[in-house]
Order: sequence, then structure tokens, then C-alpha cells
Amino acid sequence: MDPSYYIVLSAALFTIGAVGVLIRRNAIVVFMCIELMLNAANLALITFSRMNGSLDGQIMAFFVMVVAAAEVVIGLAIIMSIFRTRRSASVDDANLLKY
Amino acid sequence: MSTVLALAGEVTTGEAATFYILAPIALIGAIGMVWARNAVHSALFLVLTMLSLGVFYILQAGPFIGMVQIIVYTGAIMMLFLFVLMLIGRDASDSLIETLRGQRTVALLLGIGFAGLLCTGLGRAVGSMTSVGLDEANAAGNTQGIARDLFTKYVFAFEVTSALLITAAVGAMLLAHVEKVKAEKVTQLEMMRARFAPGNYPAPKPGPGVFAATNSVAAPGLLPDRTVAGRSLSALVPTRELTEAEAAPKGTEK
Amino acid sequence: MTFKLPAIDYLALAPMLVLFGAACAGVLVDALVPREWRYHVQVPLSLVALLASGGFVVALANRKEHVVTAGSAVVIDGPGLFLQGSIVVLGIVALFLVAERRLEPGGAFVAQAAVVAGSEADRKQMRKPGVTEVYPMMLFALAGMMLFCSANDLLTMFVALEVFSLPLYLLCALARRRRLLSQEAAVKYFLLGAFASAFFLYGVAMIYGYAGKVDFRGINEAVLGSSNSKTLLLIGLAMLAIGLLFKVAAVPFHVWTPDVYQGAPTPITAFMAACTKVAAFGGLLRVLYVAFERSSWDFRPTLGVIAAATMIVGAVLAVTQTDIKRLLAYSSVANAGYLLTGTLSMNRDGLKYTMFYLVAYGFTVLAAFAIVMLVRDSDGEATHLARWAGLGRRSPVFASLFTFLMLAFAGIPLTSGFTAKFGVFAAAVGGNMTWLVIIGVLSSMILAFPYLRVVVLMWLSVPGDDTPTVSVPGAFTAAALFVGVAMTLVLGVAPNQALELVNDAGAFLR
Repeated sequence: MDPSYYIVLSAALFTIGAVGVLIRRNAIVVFMCIELMLNAANLALITFSRMNGSLDGQIMAFFVMVVAAAEVVIGLAIIMSIFRTRRSASVDDANLLKY
Repeated sequence: MSTVLALAGEVTTGEAATFYILAPIALIGAIGMVWARNAVHSALFLVLTMLSLGVFYILQAGPFIGMVQIIVYTGAIMMLFLFVLMLIGRDASDSLIETLRGQRTVALLLGIGFAGLLCTGLGRAVGSMTSVGLDEANAAGNTQGIARDLFTKYVFAFEVTSALLITAAVGAMLLAHVEKVKAEKVTQLEMMRARFAPGNYPAPKPGPGVFAATNSVAAPGLLPDRTVAGRSLSALVPTRELTEAEAAPKGTEK
Repeated sequence: MTFKLPAIDYLALAPMLVLFGAACAGVLVDALVPREWRYHVQVPLSLVALLASGGFVVALANRKEHVVTAGSAVVIDGPGLFLQGSIVVLGIVALFLVAERRLEPGGAFVAQAAVVAGSEADRKQMRKPGVTEVYPMMLFALAGMMLFCSANDLLTMFVALEVFSLPLYLLCALARRRRLLSQEAAVKYFLLGAFASAFFLYGVAMIYGYAGKVDFRGINEAVLGSSNSKTLLLIGLAMLAIGLLFKVAAVPFHVWTPDVYQGAPTPITAFMAACTKVAAFGGLLRVLYVAFERSSWDFRPTLGVIAAATMIVGAVLAVTQTDIKRLLAYSSVANAGYLLTGTLSMNRDGLKYTMFYLVAYGFTVLAAFAIVMLVRDSDGEATHLARWAGLGRRSPVFASLFTFLMLAFAGIPLTSGFTAKFGVFAAAVGGNMTWLVIIGVLSSMILAFPYLRVVVLMWLSVPGDDTPTVSVPGAFTAAALFVGVAMTLVLGVAPNQALELVNDAGAFLR
């Protein structure tokens, strides 16, 4: 085994997350799939950090966590506010906007 | 600590064994998250994946980031997800109806194709790279190394993230906090006055009617003269019309 | 262990620092100042901050010294300063629209966003003044956009991307009327935006793997010098491009645009259409011109196809729209295509005219949305196109202004739209992208149709009973409208000074 296995794993996780975003309808689950994608990116960053022998990747993963924390707060606040009005978190129920 | 850091460049048998155990678990967590119908189960599956990733970070000479992953990402951020899910209610699960027909199948096939391409492409591209290892970068300790870069090379980005956190705090308050206006607060005294004001009925309202055939909240209570007691009816529930047979006294006068 | 803080050129960072500082002060104002005074403190505060920031940009431009500062995280060069300056100026005009409270009691923003839409409490707050947190949020967004245009590494760029995106997601959810639509727009924008930034991040990871560095100079050196497999670079570049093209609203990553433009409060729509476009293209230009110039053979064909698709799809879908905000949204998609054409020419002229196009388009679109804000009935803005029939007879002044703006969008000579479009197409021909120019001209012809349809509708129809009135604009909207229309005219009739400015900006610093 060599470190590239981690990259393959991260690619698989990223794709699962992306597919999840496309097929799930619950806004919170969609958001969790996006978190999975961010985690996959973090795994790639940390593996590359080790392969390149510099800590930049680890620091970037650290920043991603900060950004994700802020993003989660905003995202959940928006989803909550729409849920309070509609009693539903389904992306499909949010369909007033259509062309 | 030193044993962890020594693992950097080449992959040891121990690391390989951990990888072969945890990688399938991480994948199961990810697939489970997408698969599970119940949103709470999805969140728990994601926690599983995140914990495995945290172990991978520690294995790859990043003890600091691994701990942050476990404590902050899994412990704080995912718990926020669970908290909101509980707030919204567990019925927030998915419907099985597809709005766009065949969308799921197409997305799934695309996903498998994309995953195949990405994994083989990346596997080949990265497989040929040499791994330097973090021994040198971590010479003064991993946390110290991160601190050195964080507060020199990336100090501006670090400061700018404070804008993100302020935005998040203000945003959550904007969208979730309802201010109570002082004038709208009703004191006990005012409530009392309103209760005994002329025209208001101070006593508890009569309950719904209890009959042999029905005791539904929709059934009106009857006054002694067998007229409907208006106060026993809820404005929210459509009144249940009683048939003559239901409202008639049963057995007592015979 | 000791380490030294890197040298920080505070003057070079001043335009951003002023805005960050003012935004923090704005948050404090919201916490400490009594409710009725907040608006009167926030608006001057934001305005002064933006003017000061603009002043610093001018001072830096006069210094003519291009620096890489804060440990190579930020680069201040000619094009970066020009983009920062245009973001500030367009931001001031957008601030005018946001600050407008004459058209509707309390302004375009809801008083308390947490109150359930459509409830009794929501009806009660209908006439209360809107939230004042929008001003600090807007300042944060503007500061993030400025940083996005002058970031020198992918990490700073990613942080800046989020710094300007998060406030925008929030601002979209704060409309006073049609709140459900507004919240829905925010959810859609948020989910798709986060999806795109995940792609951006994965791209960053791949490029870091390939180059071993994240700063643009290092990447540029690694593009030819690295011994690693090129697959890694291409996957990274593709994913990075997806993230950026989403912000730019290029086909097929444009699906959010019409929904968000329609649902968001109109001043915020205008803000996004003008400033976000500048920031997103600023970032894209820097990434393509500085970091990946040497692999332009790899990305030009693919991005060219995307540019062509953007121009055609944007124009064709604009034809079918019945809502003025959606029409402008699809027109903004098509315009992203023209801007991409300029970007892909990969030469000095391309950079120059793309920047000019960004400014010209920004002013025109701000003025157009200012007029959309004015056309209203008792239910708020009347955005359905059928309602605009006969507006020319109701209020000839505003209808003529709108006609002028529509002609500018269509690229008729003597408007800024013509100069800009001519410039980017000429640059693209110079950059051997003639096939894109042909598609661009074709798309312009299709796109002229919906614009002219609005004009015909306004002037040649008889006003009906339900034709809305055009409100008398308050001082703020009038100022925004005036600046927008005047700049559209000036940049069309006498563009020399502005072109000199973009010419002086020179090339990106590597």
C-alpha cells in the first residue's frame, strides 16, 4: 500500500457526496452530503501534505473546518427559517420559483 | 506522539492494516448517509465516516488536525446538524417520489462513471508520485509547525476568518431571534383585569360533550335544556353534528 | 520556538481593512444604538467607509508600486486595484439602492426575518423599518470580493470566496414582500453555492498535490516544471473552474441565477449582478492569467465551449421570459458568456476589455434594477412583463431611461454596451478565438429580441387599468439611477478615459 490509496478513497467519498446532493431531496441531508465532499477534500489535502512534505495542506484543512463551521451555521439558519414557514425541509416543496 | 510522527513517508504495516479496516467503514458511512431514509440515521452515518477520517489524519502525521476533526467537526458541527434535525422533527424524512423521472438512476449511473474515472485517474497519477513525508516539517512538533505557518504565511487569511464567524453569528441571530417589544409584554395585573373585565367569561370553558356513542372533542356539550353550549366548541375543529339518536337520553327515563 | 510576523504593508491592505473595520463597527452599532437611530448611523457609516476605501485604492494606484504583502497572501497590482476600485464604486451605487426607504415604508428589507412569513406578527411588521444588519453584511461581502480579486494563493482565495458568499446567502433571505420566495431563493443559492465551493476546494487539493504549493507563482512554475502526472493538474483545474464558473453564472452552472435574482430583494439582486460579477471574473482572470497561463492550450477549448453555450443558452432562454427580473437574470448569464469570450483571448487586450466590460455592465445593470424597483403597485414591485405594457405613456421619462438601458444591453452604438462588446470581441479575434466571436455576435442578435420586446411593450401598448405606476424615486434611488445612466452614456460616447485607466492597470503581477 502507498499513500495514493488515501487519494482514491477521497475521490470515492467525494463522488458519493456529489451523487447524494443530486439524488436526496431533504435540504439538511443535501447539506450533509456537501459536508462529506468537504471532508473528502480535507483527506486529499492532508494526504498530499504528507506526500509533498509541507504543512500547507494540513493548514488548509484547518481553514476548511473553520469555513465549514460558519457555513453550517448560516445554512442551518436559512433552512430553519424556511422550515418554520413550510413545515417541510424538502427541496421539492420549495418550488414557487419556476420558469 | 513520536511514534505517530515517525510514520510519515512510507506506509508501515500498522498503518496499512488500520487503513484496510477503516476505509471500508468510511465508505459504508458515506453510502449509508446517502442511502438512509431517515435524516437522523444519515447524520449518524456521516459521524462514522468523519471519525474514520480523523484517524487517517492522525496516521498521516497530523495529530493536531486529526483531533480537531474529531472534536470540532464531528463533535460540534455534526451535533449542530443533529440538533437542528431534532428541532425540525423526525418526520423530516424523504419521500420516495421522484419529481424528475429517472433522475435518481441517471445520477447514480453518472456518479459511478465519474467515480470510476476519478479513482483510476487519480490512482494512476498519484501512484507514481514519491512520498516525502512530514518528518522534517514536523521536526519541532506538528502543532508548533502548524502554528508557525498559520501565524506567518497565512496570517491574513487567519484574521479574515473572523469576518466569517461574525457573519455566521449575526446571520443566525437575524434568522432565528425574534425580539419581544416591551409594550407587548402583558403583566399579571393586566391579565387579571382583562379576565374579570365586563363581557369576559372568567371561569374555565365547559368541556366537549360526553355521550354513549361519542366523546370526541368535536361533539358539542349540551346545556341542561339540551341546547348546545357555544363555549364547548373549538374554533379550530369543525363541529360534529349530533344525530337525534345520539343526543337522546339513553336508558335513564325508561 | 520563535517566529517573526511577516512584513505587512498596511497601506496596501487598507482598502479591505477599512471595510472589515467598518463592518465590525456596524455590528456594534446594531447592538448598542437605539432602534430608531440605527438606520441614520449605518448608512453614513457604510458610505464613509466605502469612500475611504475608494480613497485608499486611488492612493495605491498613484503610488504605482506593486507589492506582494502579508506573507505573499495578497498581491496589489494594477488590474487588482482596478477591480477593487470598480467593486467599491459599484458597491456605493448598490448601497444607494439598499438604503432607499422612500419607495416603500421601511425599505426593501423585512423588519424581523425570524417572524414566520404570512403570520399575524408578519402582517403587523409590514410597515416597520427594515433590518439594519444588511449594511455590515454588505460591507463584509464587499471586503471579501476585494480580497477575492487580489488574493495571491488559493487558500486566501477560498476564504475570500466564503467571506463574500455567506453574507450574500443571508441578504437573499431578507425581502420584505414575497418572503417565501425570498427564503427559497436563499436556500437554493446556499445549497448550490456550497456545492460549488466543495468542487472549488477539491480542485485546490488536487492542484496542491500537483504543484506542492498553493500560491499562484508556485503553481505557474510547477505547470511546466513539475514531474508529477498532468492528470492531477487537469482534474484540479477542471474542479477549480467549476467553482468559479458557478459564481460567474456560466452554463451549465447557471441554474441558480434566475431563481435567486427573482427571489432576492431587488437591491440585493442589483448588488449581486454588478459586484459579484466583478469579483468572480476578477478571481477567474487572476487564476487563468497568473497561475495557469502556461496550460492555456488545455483549458481554452473546453472553456470556449462553455462560453459558447453560455452565450447561446442565456440568450435563447431570455427570449422566453415573462418576468423582468428573470429576463435580466438570463441576460446576465449571456453577458457572462461575452465576458468569458474576452477572458479566453488570453492577451493584454482581453484582460483590458474584460475589465472595462465588467464596469460598464455593472453600471447599466444597477440602473436597470433601480427602475425595476420604481415600477410598483400596491403589492410591491410589478415585475411581470405584461404589467409593463403601456408604461411609456404613463411615465415617459422612466420609460425612455429604461429604453436607453435596454439598448445599452443590446449593444447599440453610443452606449457603453457597444464599446465593451466590441472590445471583447476584437480581443478574442486577436487571441485566435474567432469562432467564439461568431457565436457571440449570433447570440447578441438573439438577445436583442427580448430587450426590444420590452421596449415595444412599453411604448406601443395602451396602458390598462392594472398598469402599475412609476413611483417618484427617493434621493438615493435617483442618485443610483443617475450615476448608472450617466456612466452608461459616458462610457459609450467618450470611453477614452476609462480605457486609459484599464490600459494603465497593466498586467497581473506574478
